Amino acid sequence: MEIETINQIAIFSSLDSETRLAIAQRAFTRRLPAGFTLLTEGMPAESCYFIVTGEVRALRMNTDGRVQVLARFSAGDPINIISLLTEEKTNRATIEVLSPTSVLILQTADFDFLISNYTDFSNLILRQLAARLSKITDLAADLSLYAVRARLARFLIELADFTPSPSGWTQDEIAAHIGTVRDVVGRLLRDFESAGLILRQRGQIILLDRDHLSEIAQD
Amino acid sequence: MSEQNLPSINLALCNHCTLCVTNCPENALEMTEQGPVFIDPISCSYCRDCEHLCPTAAIRAPLVVTWRAK
Repeated sequence: MEIETINQIAIFSSLDSETRLAIAQRAFTRRLPAGFTLLTEGMPAESCYFIVTGEVRALRMNTDGRVQVLARFSAGDPINIISLLTEEKTNRATIEVLSPTSVLILQTADFDFLISNYTDFSNLILRQLAARLSKITDLAADLSLYAVRARLARFLIELADFTPSPSGWTQDEIAAHIGTVRDVVGRLLRDFESAGLILRQRGQIILLDRDHLSEIAQD
Repeated sequence: MSEQNLPSINLALCNHCTLCVTNCPENALEMTEQGPVFIDPISCSYCRDCEHLCPTAAIRAPLVVTWRAK
């Protein structure tokens, strides 16, 4: 594949040119339409992916058969690395494409080769795993230090302040992101609306009172 | 009410349980061989009941968060 595609992925910018060339010789890209199921939970893990453009979400099935949204990933994020590094080598979650997405694919043998032969690549993977672990630690700290009301207010401000995601956020996805369940998110949004802090319209949450929401975010 | 504001349905994830169709308060959905489709998109009120009821997360009714325009 073209080395230019490798250079498009921000997290690869720290790699030596020799490593980037080794990835280019082994990886291939694929364009995926919205709604496509890239990985199915429990199936053998055969590849890992790096998102070039687009957005996907991770889902997992509960014991009662209901599906739960776990997380969302976008440009630069690796997918399925943990599955390749575990003993069982099975996909840890189902991955569904939210908006047209382009991914770089590395098959297990090529991933293992790069890990074993290119120190900067294995360091990069370690840093990515550390970043995931750090996010989980932050979430655990948030869960113990802040009430869910504060976490929701903070996340709404964050979403409104930065470029909106083209695929938007469902209540399930918001709940997964702040460590709660969708019913709680729904109840809190109703409370915020009753208090005049937000306005809910078809497919939109409009934030009305930054000062008050910021205050709640620190509770 | 524009069509792009309708909940999106991933037919590949649909298990044809019909919960979305039978519980839609506006009767906007109909089950087909491929899965649910909006037969009356204008009447969809974006209540997101279909998304909530779907056991396989095949229906998304996303929200965009913005500040009020000044």
